[in-house]
Amino acid sequence: MLTENLNKDQATILEIVRMSTEDGPGIRTTVFFKGCTLNCAWCHNPESISIKPQLQWVGSRCIGCKTCLSVCKENALTLTETGMQIDRSRCTGCGDCAVECPGTALELMGKIWQLDDLVDEVIKDRAYFETSGGGITISGGEPTMQAGFAGAFLKSLRAKGLHTALDTCGQCSRNALDQTLPYAAMVLFDMKLIDPEAHKKFTGHDNKRILDNLLYVADYIRSHVYPSGMWVRTPIIPNATADSENISGIGQFIASYLDGVVQRWELCAFNNLCQDKYQRLDQPWAFADESLLTKSFLDELTDTAKQSGVDPDIVFATGATRLETPENMQKPETQEKQETQQEVGDGVSSERI
Amino acid sequence: MSIAAKEIQHQIKEPKGLSSRIARLRDYYFKGADRAWNNQTTSWTTGTPWDVQFNEITFYIVPETYMLMQTLRSSYRQSARPVILPEDFWEKSLVERRAWFIREVMVNYLPKEILPGDLLAGGRFNIMASMCLTEKEQKEFDRLTIGKKGAREAVFWFHGHGYGNAGATSGHLVPGHERALTLGWKGIHADLESKYNSLSKEDQDGAAGAQLRAMMTAATMPRDLAAEYAKVCQRLAVKETDSDRKAELKQMVQNLSRVPWEPPKTFWEAVQALWLNHMLIMSDENYPGPGVSFGRIDQYLLPYWEYSIKNGMDREFGKEILKCFWVHSNTAYDYMIRSGNQGISAGFGQLITLSGLGKNGADMTNDLTYAILEVIDEMTPILEPKPNVRMHRNSPEVLMDKMVDMISSSQGAPFLINFDERSMAGMMREAKVAGIEHLINKENVHEYAPVGCLENTMVGNDRSGTVDNNLNLLKAVELALTGGRDLIPFVDPMTFKTEKIRQDGPETGDATRFKTWDEFWEAYKQQNAYIIKKCVDLYEKSESIRVKFLQTPYLSCLVKGCAEKGLDITQGGAEISLVTMEAVTYATTVDALLAIKYLVFDGKKCTMKELIQALKDNWEGHNVLQALAKNRAPKYGRDDDAADAMAKQVMDLWTVETWKHRTISTGRQFRPGMLSWNYWVGDGYVMAASADGRAKGQFLSNAICPSNGADINGPTANANSVGKALGGMAVKGQGDWEDYLNSLPNGASHTITFNPSIIKDPEHRNKFKAFLKGYAQNGGTCLQVNMLDSDMLRDAQKHPQDYRHLLVRITGYNTYFTSVGKELQNEVIARLSHQKF
Repeated sequence: MLTENLNKDQATILEIVRMSTEDGPGIRTTVFFKGCTLNCAWCHNPESISIKPQLQWVGSRCIGCKTCLSVCKENALTLTETGMQIDRSRCTGCGDCAVECPGTALELMGKIWQLDDLVDEVIKDRAYFETSGGGITISGGEPTMQAGFAGAFLKSLRAKGLHTALDTCGQCSRNALDQTLPYAAMVLFDMKLIDPEAHKKFTGHDNKRILDNLLYVADYIRSHVYPSGMWVRTPIIPNATADSENISGIGQFIASYLDGVVQRWELCAFNNLCQDKYQRLDQPWAFADESLLTKSFLDELTDTAKQSGVDPDIVFATGATRLETPENMQKPETQEKQETQQEVGDGVSSERI
Repeated sequence: MSIAAKEIQHQIKEPKGLSSRIARLRDYYFKGADRAWNNQTTSWTTGTPWDVQFNEITFYIVPETYMLMQTLRSSYRQSARPVILPEDFWEKSLVERRAWFIREVMVNYLPKEILPGDLLAGGRFNIMASMCLTEKEQKEFDRLTIGKKGAREAVFWFHGHGYGNAGATSGHLVPGHERALTLGWKGIHADLESKYNSLSKEDQDGAAGAQLRAMMTAATMPRDLAAEYAKVCQRLAVKETDSDRKAELKQMVQNLSRVPWEPPKTFWEAVQALWLNHMLIMSDENYPGPGVSFGRIDQYLLPYWEYSIKNGMDREFGKEILKCFWVHSNTAYDYMIRSGNQGISAGFGQLITLSGLGKNGADMTNDLTYAILEVIDEMTPILEPKPNVRMHRNSPEVLMDKMVDMISSSQGAPFLINFDERSMAGMMREAKVAGIEHLINKENVHEYAPVGCLENTMVGNDRSGTVDNNLNLLKAVELALTGGRDLIPFVDPMTFKTEKIRQDGPETGDATRFKTWDEFWEAYKQQNAYIIKKCVDLYEKSESIRVKFLQTPYLSCLVKGCAEKGLDITQGGAEISLVTMEAVTYATTVDALLAIKYLVFDGKKCTMKELIQALKDNWEGHNVLQALAKNRAPKYGRDDDAADAMAKQVMDLWTVETWKHRTISTGRQFRPGMLSWNYWVGDGYVMAASADGRAKGQFLSNAICPSNGADINGPTANANSVGKALGGMAVKGQGDWEDYLNSLPNGASHTITFNPSIIKDPEHRNKFKAFLKGYAQNGGTCLQVNMLDSDMLRDAQKHPQDYRHLLVRITGYNTYFTSVGKELQNEVIARLSHQKF
C-alpha cells in the first residue's frame, strides 16, 4: 500500500523556512516536503497534503491585470467580483499563470528541487546552526513519502557535519525509515491519537503502522548513536485529540515503551488562523468555527500529561491560547481561581518580516 | 532608525529602582518646557553691528532646517546679549578671539546652578556665540555662504535635485577623554606651553603660535568654570539644613576645586571631570551633542571605579553618580526647548561604547560595564547618552544574557550592537588605503569606538566627518537612464516655479539605444563617478569656509595632532583627518539596477523607452510593469547569490571611487560608510520614481538594509546579504582583519525587526543569542534590534503592499500576515498588544 518515491535526485518541496525556532533544537532551516500520507481533519497546513503542485490566489496581491486569464491554456481561471475562481477540475498545476502573475497573487505551491541545489540553499545558515546547536529539519507533509530524496538529502548534510532532524507522522513503510533514519541526528515523531478508531476517523488511517514504526524508531535509537533521541509532538485539537483520556493514553505509551528515547513531549495547541488557507484551496474545514484553547484548559492537559507516567520534565506546551483579557475572559466550566492576567503563550510566533 | 522604531518609543517601559533623588531629577527633566531651569540656547555677541552667531554650515546636512536658516540667523542675532571685550580683542588672531570669547561667556556670563540633589556640576552649555569676525571677515563669510553661488545655494540645489546633502558639520568624534583625565587640564596646558615654547619665533608669531595660544586660553576654561561651580556649591552648602546633602555639597566643592584641572582620583571626581570636559565641547562648537561621543567609557573610567569601590564607595552610589550624568546628558535637548522643536534636534547621539575586544583578543567586559548597563536599564526610557555595546565572537554569556534581557524588556526601544571583527576589518582597510598603518594597525585597532550611532573611528586622534556627506547613490541610476539629466523637472518649493531640465551629468548616451546590460552598466559607472565628484565639490564649499572662519580651539585640545601640528581640528589638525561619504539609498540603487537588467535585458518585459516613460509618469498607467518590477525582479537582501553579487559590484564601485578624493582646503581623504539618518524618508519625496517599482514619495532604502518588504527569507538571510555586500570572508589569512573583509570603515547601519516570540522564554532567548553570535560571523558592523509591535501590524493592515512578506508563524503553521482576513489580523494584533515579557 505504501510505496514511497525512491528518486534520490529531486523532490517536490512546499517551502523552506529559515531561522525556524520551533522545529527542534537551536536555529533551524525547515524544509517542508509536499505530500502527506495522512489526511488529518484539523491540518494546519492543508496545502501540504497533496503531493501535486497546487495553485492558490492571494487576493490582497492581485492588481487585476488579468494576465493570468490570457496565459491559462485550460481556461481554468475566472476573475469575478468576489475574486479569482480556480476551476480545479481543469487546473493541471502547470504554474504558467503563477510565473507570469506580476503581483504574485497566483502562487503555485510545490516546487521541484534538485538535490544539490537544495543542499546549497540550506547550508547558507551554517554559522547560525553552529552558534545555536541547530541544523536542518525535514518536515511536511510527510517527508518520507519522498524517502529516496529525503535520505539522500539528510545523508549529504550529515556528511557536511550538520545536525539534521526528521519530522514524521510515522505513517510510512519500514523501508522509508531505513532510508532516512541513519542520517537523522534526531527524530520528531507525531502522536496524535492513541485510540485506533479515533485515529482512523480523524486522519484516514488507524495508528497500527504508526505505533509499530514508533517502536521500531525507538529501538533504532537505542541501538545506534544517531538518531540521538526523539521529540514526540501531539497536536491539541478540540473535540479530536484534546481530551485527558487521549493524553493519558499517549503518555502511558511513552512511559511504557519509549523509555530513555523521548527527550521532549510537546503539546501543540490548536490554531485557527489557517482557515484562510482552506478558503484559498477552495476546501471546507471542519474546525473553522473552533476558537483557540483557553490557557487553563491547556494547562490542565499539560498536567494530565505530566501525571501520565512520563518524566514530567519532558512535557512542554506550545502555541497560542485564547486571549484572556479582562474584557473577553471566558471562564471554562472547570475553572478554578483565575490568577492575575496570564501570559498568552506565543502570540505571533517566529520571526521574519 | 525606522519609522516603526520611532513610534515604538512612545510605549516603552517604566523606569525602575530609582532613588528619590534620581526620580526627582528625572521627573523634573521630563517636565520639559515647564521647567523653571533649562539649558535653552542663549546667544552672545561682540556687539558689532555685523556680528553673526548662527553657523548655518553645520546644519547643511539637515534639510529640515533649510527653510528656517534665515530665521535662525536673524533670531540669534536679535536675541544676542553683548559681552564686554578687552581693549586688544580685535588685535588678536581670529582663533584667539574665539577662544577668549567662549571662555568669557562660559565662565563669566552664563548663569550657574546646581539642581536639588544633583551630584554633578555643569548645567548650562547650549550657547550661540559670536563668530568673532571683523567686518571684513564677516562680509567674506557671508559672501561665501549666503552670497550668489555661495555654499547655501549650492547645498539647496544639490538637495532639491535629489543628490543628497553635504556640509562641514560639528561634533561626530570621540575626543581624548582618557588623556584629559590622566593628565588633567593642568597637564594639557603644560604640554601646550612647552610645544609653544619650542616653536621658532617666526612660528610663534604665525598661525601655529596663534593656534597654540588660543588652545592655552581654552585649556584654562574648565578650571575657571569649575571654580565658579565650586562657589555655587559652597553657597548652597552653607544654606543647606539637611546634613547628608550638606556633606554632599561640601564634597562637590572639594571635587570641583581639584578637577578637571588636576587629574581625578575618585570615581565621583572622574565623572565630574568627564562631564565638564564633554559639555564644554558642545559650548565650543555651539553645537549641542550630535555625535559628540564618549568612547569606551567602561574602560577609561574603570581605574577610578575600582579605586573608589576599594576605598568604600557603595556600588549603588557609584551608579547614582552615573545617573546624574545621564540626566545632564539629556539636557542637550533643551537646545530649542522653548520653540518646542525637538524635531530637528532629536537625534543627538552622545554615544557611549561598552565592552568589546582588548589586546590579544581579550574581552574587556568588567564590573563597570554591568553597572552602566544597570543604569541604562533602570533609567530607561531616557534618550541620552546612547549605548552601543561592542560584541565579538567570544563575548561572555553573562553580557549576552544581560543584553538580551534589556532588549526583551525595552519593548522595542532600539538597541545598538556593534560587531568588533567586521568593524575592525573596516578600520584596517582604512589604514591600508589611506596609508596610515602607523596609526591604525593590528596592535591598536581594538581601541576603535563608534561615534553618533555606529560610525567607527579611532579615539582621541580622529575626526573623520562621519555624517558630513550624504549621497543618494540612486541619482546615478537616474542619470544613466537619461544620459545625465534629471528625469523629472525640479519645482522650487518656495516659488513653485518649474525649472527647465538641463544637462548636469556627463552625456553617457541615449539609454534607449543600449543593446546590452554592459552598455548600461558603463553609463552607470560614469554617472556614479560624477555624483561622487559633485558631492566632493559641494563639500569643499563649506570645508573651505570652515577652515578660515570657524575654529574650535577647546575641542582641538582634546584631539591628538592639533597641538603637534599647530593646526585647529577644523583645519585638519587631527592625526587621522579623513571625511566620510555616507551612501544613502544603497538597496534601492541595487534593486533598481537589478530591475533594469531583468525588465529590459534578461526578462525582456519592456523596452528601455517604456521603462523610462513609466518612471516619468511615476508608474501611473503602468501598474503591470510596476508590479513586475516590485515582485518579479530580483532583490538584494534575500541571500540570493546572484542579486547579492550585484550588491557587491555596486559597493566596490562606489567605495573605490570615494577613496580617490580629498578635500582641497584640508587634504582630508574621503572614506566610505553607510548611515542614512532620516534622509531615506525625506528624500523619497524628492527623488523620482525608481526602476525597482518605488514611486516618488515612497521611502528609499535605509543605510545597508534591504528595501522595505524585500527581505522575504528572514533575519539570517538578511544578515548574510549584508555581510556579503561588505565583502564577506576572505580566503584564510587574506582578510582585512583575520578572515573578515569590510569595504566600509565607517560602518553600516543595519536594522532588523524581530517577532517578540524570539525572546519569549529562556530557550528562545538562547536562540536569539545564537543569532547574534552568528551575525558576528556572517553579518555587518552594527545591528539595531527592533521588536515587532502591534503598531507595525496595524500599519501592515493599512498598507499591505509594504508588508507583503511579514510572516506570522505559530507552531507548525506559517502564513503571511497580509494574506489573512481582517478579523484574524485583529486577533494577532490584540495578542501582541497584551503580550508581556
